[in-house]
Formats: sequence, structure tokens, C-alpha cells
Amino acid sequence: MKKYLFLMITLLLSFQLFAHGPTPQKVQESLVINAPADKVWNMVKDFCNIHNWHPAVEKTTCEKKGEDTFRTLVLKSGETVYEKLRGVDDDLMKLKFEIVKSPNPFTDFNSYLIVTKGSTDNESTVQWTARFYRLYKLNPPIPEGQDDATAKAAAQAIVDSGLKGLKKTLEAN
Amino acid sequence: MYKFFIVIVILALGALFTMNSPPNKAFITNQGEDTVSIINLDTFQVEKRIKVGKKPLGITILKNKSIALVGNVESQDLSVIDLKKNVVIKTLALKATPLGLTHNKDETEIYVTDWFNSQIFVINSMNFEIIKKIPVGKTPSGIAFNEKYSFIVISNRDSNSVEIYTEKEMRLEKKIMVGKHPYGISTEGDYIYTANVYDDSITVINLTNWQTKEIKVGDHPYNVIKINDQLFVTNSLDDNISIIDTKTFTEILKIPTGETPENLWVDKKNNRLVISNWGSDSISIINLHDMKNIKEVKSGLQSRAFGDFILN
Repeated sequence: MKKYLFLMITLLLSFQLFAHGPTPQKVQESLVINAPADKVWNMVKDFCNIHNWHPAVEKTTCEKKGEDTFRTLVLKSGETVYEKLRGVDDDLMKLKFEIVKSPNPFTDFNSYLIVTKGSTDNESTVQWTARFYRLYKLNPPIPEGQDDATAKAAAQAIVDSGLKGLKKTLEAN
Repeated sequence: MYKFFIVIVILALGALFTMNSPPNKAFITNQGEDTVSIINLDTFQVEKRIKVGKKPLGITILKNKSIALVGNVESQDLSVIDLKKNVVIKTLALKATPLGLTHNKDETEIYVTDWFNSQIFVINSMNFEIIKKIPVGKTPSGIAFNEKYSFIVISNRDSNSVEIYTEKEMRLEKKIMVGKHPYGISTEGDYIYTANVYDDSITVINLTNWQTKEIKVGDHPYNVIKINDQLFVTNSLDDNISIIDTKTFTEILKIPTGETPENLWVDKKNNRLVISNWGSDSISIINLHDMKNIKEVKSGLQSRAFGDFILN
């Protein structure tokens, strides 16, 4: 029995060496917001205050590690998510971040938000794109809950509720 | 009358040249919709979309044989496309996860990396039979053929290594450690280049003395190719490419692309660079004379095109 246990642990550990599978999943959504682009961008790039607009987030705590900025999100569900800021570009109005650790059923989640000016001064478009992989790193059959569809549904929910929250918050004030 | 004759001759010659002008097309694997888009690089028109297997990624073009091979990672097979009719004429089951594809100089053999099973396939391009399977490092990704040395070179992403095989015997000539998570690989003359995704760098391997050099580039580089005296690297999370001078091995310029640029190849006819953008479902076309963006063309969902995707 001990032998099998050892074998299983070895197998599990060896799976961990694989970072992810060969097919990245994608969620990309856009929403028009009735607010000036600079105002929208100021809210989007404020990495340490995402709880101000994302309805799933209760609290944000930021920390610096050398040059890098990380944030810990406490979700309304009580779970926590650890994220790394990967870039803020004021010219492109683009924010990049990575989910380092989360209870979500996906891995290697990289994401960016781009704000563009709309047809009038009081209109903007926000596009949110996420690139990530399912949890299961090997060939089919894929265990339930670790497949592409599960990963995609979770990312879709984060993006959809986030964009709606951003619109609601910005159009309210 | 004489003048009229000359005009007729010129017109006839013109028509002949137009008819015989070589094709100049990009074959882009669209992983989000299981298709390959055929894009005319002179007119920027998408001429056709061909349905292939599930989650196509890698591609290699055998010009003289007039076929292209596409690797479908989820259906675990290869689609063979006839380049005269632009239809899939054969599907080869592999029971493997084909990532990178390339071929030797005389187009007799096709080489495929198998991501999950850590091996490479050698396939006969006449009858499509598997000649050999060779065990390699972990998650082999990119694969390329060096014409000068007749070497097959591969990048093993999870082993952080490059392996170099001889064409004739498929004997391991050398294994070399590179940066973290080498994905794309290319080779020309005395050099091999890898894009190291987790290190934000590329590694240059000198085949004459096995020395390596690491050069920092942008965020999550995916692939690298050499054109003339410069290296072009896709920085997938920076939405741009780095241009590196091969004399000094320093970065000289960055050029914006579409979102999440992944792979790149050269349009030799027009002296342009073509880049697949996974994030914006498109290709970017850059003029190599002045390094300016000419055009972005929508290709298909999650454009990737991992390999030598241009026919000209």
C-alpha cells in the first residue's frame, strides 16, 4: 500500500511539472460605458481598488515586492485571490495582470483591459481579454470540473460581472 | 501596324506573367474555430477558410509537394491540405498531441513534436507513414530544420532545453540548456534561436562552438525568427515585437502589433513580416523597409499559425 501511495504522490508531483496544456482558452468581452475615456481609465488602472467596481470583490490589499506590485482580493464569498500587476500603459490605456493563486478552476490566467474613446466625449469602450488554461494538463479523458468548459465558465463570470460592475459604478457618479 | 504588334506582345506577356505569378499566401491556423484561413498577401483578402481537425496549432508548408500539414492538438491528428485545390485531402491519426511541425530540405520527411508524450515523429511525406518515434525532453514544442548542418532542432518547454538531431540517423548530436520555457525555435546558418516564455528572453546558440547567449526581450516572448541581420521576437503579453541586431545582440526597436502576437514568418516577395495575433484574431503585416505597420487583417478566432505558414 505504501508503495502505491508513494507512486501516486510521485505521479502527482510529476504532473505539477507541466505548466499547462497546449490550447489556451479565451474570454474577450467589450462594453460601452457612458463616461469619458480618461475617467474610465483612471478607475480601471487603479489596481489597488478593484473592490470599488467589481461586484465579486469585498476588499483589496496591495503590496510591493521589489519592483512588482501584487494585490490580494478578498471575495464576497470569503475566498481570496492573489494577483500580480504586469503593466500599466497610459498611452494605450491598457492594464495587464496575472492571477497567481486562486480557487478558480483554471491556471496560467493572464488578462488585460483596454479603454478606448467612443464616438462622443462622454462615451468609452472597455475590452477585457483573458487567456488561461484548463486545470487538467494531460490528454483526454479529462476529469469533470477540470475541463475547458469549466475553466471558461469561471473566467466568463469574472469578466462579465466585472464589466457590468464597472459600467454601473461609472455611470452612477 | 508594327506598333500595334508590340502592344499585343506586351499585353500577352503581361497576361502570362500574371497567370504564372507565384502564389503569395498565409495559412493561418485559427485554434478557436478549428479552421485554417488562406490570406492573399498581395490583396489582403481572406480567400478561403478550410475546416480542419480540433484545435489546430502547428503548420508546415511543403512547397514542391504542394501540400501543407496542420497539427490538431485536441483531435490528435494531422490535416493534409492540397495547396492547388485548398482542400483537406487526408487526415492522419497520431494518438499524440502535435505541437510543432517542420520538414527537411528536400521535403521527403516531416517532423512533429508530441507535447504530452515527449517524443518526436518522423513521417514520410510520400505515403505519410510514421518512420520513427524518438523520445526527447519534456513537452517538446518548437521544431525547425537547419539546412547548413542538416540538423533537426527542438525546444523542450518543461526541460528548458534544446535538442539537436542529425537528419540521416536521427542521432542526438547535442543537448543544450536555454532559458525558462523555450517555446518557439528557429535556426539558420550557424545559429539556433529560442524564445523563452517565462524568462522574457531569447537564447542564441552558436553551432560552431556550442556557446549560448541570452538576450532580454518583452513580456512572454513566443517565437523568434531571423531575417537578414535582425531577429524578430513576438512579445505576446506586450502586444509588440522586439527587433534585435545580430551584430551587437542588442534590441534596437519595438513595433506594435495586434493583441497577443504569437508567431511570425516572412513574406519574401513583398519583403514584409507577417505576425499572427491570438488576442485580436488577426494578422499584422509590417513593411521591412521602414518597419511600419501596413495592415491588420482579421483571420479567424485565436489565430496562431505555429510554423512556416507562408507560401511564396
